[in-house]
Amino acid sequence: MNPALATVILILLAGTLFAIPLLPALIELRLKRDAQPLNVIQQYAGEIRHFSYGFRSYIAALLEPLQECVAAGATSEGFMPDGDEYLLLGCANDTAFVSTGEKTANCRSVVAVGMDVVLPDGITFAKEVYAAGEFTGGEKNVFRALLGEKNIRLGRASTVNRWAHAVGTFRAEHDCDLYGRISSDREIRLESGCAFQRLNAPYIALGHSASEVSDGTTETVQTPVPGGRRLVDEDLEIQAGDIVTTNVVTRGRLHIGAGARVLGSVKSDQQMTVGAGVRVEGSLISASTMHIGPDCWIRGPVIAEHGMAIETGTCCGSSRTPTTVSAPTIEIADGVVVFGTVWARTEGRVVPQG
Amino acid sequence: MLYSLFAIVVLISVYTARHYLFTLNRLFGFQRHPYIDIDTADWPQVTILVAAHNEEKVVAHILTALMSVNYPTERMLVVPVNDRSTDGTREIIDRFCEEYPNRIRPFHRAGGKGGKAAALKDAMELVETEVILIFDADYIPGTGLIKQLVAPFFDPEVGGVMGRVVPLNVGTNLLTRLLDLERSGGYQVDQQARMNLRLVPQHGGTVAGVRLSALREIGGWNDNSLTEDTDLTFRLLLAGWKTVYQNRSECYEEVPETWQVRIKQIMRWAKGHNQALAGYGLKLLFGKHRATLRERIDGFLLLGVYAMAPLTLVGWILALALFYEGVAPLHGVIALLSFTAYAATGNFAAFFEIAAAARLDYTRQRIRLLPFLVLGFGVSIFSVTRACISQLSAPVTGAQFHWDKTERFRATP
Repeated sequence: MNPALATVILILLAGTLFAIPLLPALIELRLKRDAQPLNVIQQYAGEIRHFSYGFRSYIAALLEPLQECVAAGATSEGFMPDGDEYLLLGCANDTAFVSTGEKTANCRSVVAVGMDVVLPDGITFAKEVYAAGEFTGGEKNVFRALLGEKNIRLGRASTVNRWAHAVGTFRAEHDCDLYGRISSDREIRLESGCAFQRLNAPYIALGHSASEVSDGTTETVQTPVPGGRRLVDEDLEIQAGDIVTTNVVTRGRLHIGAGARVLGSVKSDQQMTVGAGVRVEGSLISASTMHIGPDCWIRGPVIAEHGMAIETGTCCGSSRTPTTVSAPTIEIADGVVVFGTVWARTEGRVVPQG
Repeated sequence: MLYSLFAIVVLISVYTARHYLFTLNRLFGFQRHPYIDIDTADWPQVTILVAAHNEEKVVAHILTALMSVNYPTERMLVVPVNDRSTDGTREIIDRFCEEYPNRIRPFHRAGGKGGKAAALKDAMELVETEVILIFDADYIPGTGLIKQLVAPFFDPEVGGVMGRVVPLNVGTNLLTRLLDLERSGGYQVDQQARMNLRLVPQHGGTVAGVRLSALREIGGWNDNSLTEDTDLTFRLLLAGWKTVYQNRSECYEEVPETWQVRIKQIMRWAKGHNQALAGYGLKLLFGKHRATLRERIDGFLLLGVYAMAPLTLVGWILALALFYEGVAPLHGVIALLSFTAYAATGNFAAFFEIAAAARLDYTRQRIRLLPFLVLGFGVSIFSVTRACISQLSAPVTGAQFHWDKTERFRATP
């Protein structure tokens, strides 16, 4: 072959091979199909009530017809602008949503209830439910999402798949599965056997005996003023009854003896155990697991990176200093109170005492 | 020459392995976000410092955004640090102060040493809170960002916090698109992997926070440093404080739109990083302090990142020289160097990292620009080398370090 031709072919071939991977790049550069900034949500969808606020806006147009249904004691059906069916219930005894007389207990419409209602057992709601009045669920109801303008009470073994928000009290009887976000502007009460992920309310009572737990701030006048921090590179035990005036950071395991009082915050890289009746004015942080004994009071956030168990009688936060309890898995004994948020990324569960 | 080449090959291989480790950890490892769920708390008082030097194009945006965040207003004070601005920055800040008299307290600085660290140091006279957040003026924080950045300070071990930086002006040109990919890899993979592996997440000096008592313990801001953020990271580490990274605390920034500005920026970063390497490298590795072995190693590698650019160049030159000298036993080494240098330019490790970041961000098309990153890499390696040479020759040439502000491109409001 002619050497000049061979050189040209070689150059063309090499150039083509070099250009091939650049072709998609050049096309993307030219067309800018993915040139928008990453979607950093400026309005903070992490707010627990985000979806309930959105749903309230979504059904705003139905509120007037809903009032008309209530006034007329009638039921009305129709379609939302996005094509979803809706069902407006204006009569307390109206169970039309049970598939309008068919023998199945599935409801595929967005449901808005205009007055106080008590649901029958075993109904599955595939779409959101809005309750303008008191809402009492039956046993084994399944909700996609639920917004109540007053109190919500779920029957035994009910399920919420995405979120529920009550302007009043939210209460779930035994063995409910509460996935996603559960919030109340006033109070959440879960009975034992309930599973949950994220709870938020000014007052969260877990289990039957929780109401006996006192608000920690009524008993303390001490404002946390920790003086410096104590760094420990191995396991540490804070003796029962000790008063610790500093922040404490330990690389090893940490045990806080019964009745001890910590004016600062506590962090351990490994397992943390907290004895009965301990008071912590700051936060409790474990990079591993955490076990909090009975009758403790913790003012600040309680965080465990791998799992947490809290025994009965313990109170986290107070009405004046709400807080967050968070771990991938949380096991809370019957009789624990949290003021603020409980967030179990994987699963939380209220277990019977003992 | 042979042993120098060997040493460079080993170093490049270490960095390549590090990139792989981080990427695989992000894709398959346990992800740590321990503080992100703290959404209810007795939130502490916080001071938010907004560093502003001739920022008339952008400062109104950040002040507006900060007035809209969901942090309790009575517990938050915004302090715009107007550092010797000669444009309309002062007037804009004063206008906001009139509108929000109890929420914004300006710090106007007419003289003094140049640089962000020096300005922040002077502004500390207005800071009375234990938690301080820092933003550059071109950032636009979202509604929930302040709570997210304050939350880690409930951990008594945390001295510094860093959020994720997300470019806003992505679509402007090739450079901004490449910087978007680089940032994505750097934060989504690199920083979060360091957080996961309990290594040394780097304080970025913006979208960031620092604990006042920790800052005082380490002697405050170092106004001799060109990168006060890197300097802060390592002084905190040496004093037994952790810096944590919050990948979900995202904030928009403006990236450079011209290569000239980008080169200036990366040269300043390189000089500042090398300053920190010289100042803290050996102390970090061998000193008596609380850092773990893995923190010592990762911290040292982090400090050495910018020193690798000239070393890679030297490696290439050595390999070529040895090849043309016909040193037969070196053929294997040359092959090895070629492979590792190829990997170090991004075709393997760094590119893998960025591709993984794009996947984690659920972006699809922009990853097609990956081959163009070679261009960005080339510019960086020569700019960083130039910075290193100028830094090394400074004692002879008498050149003074000075702080170059990054130019803004946003339209004036």
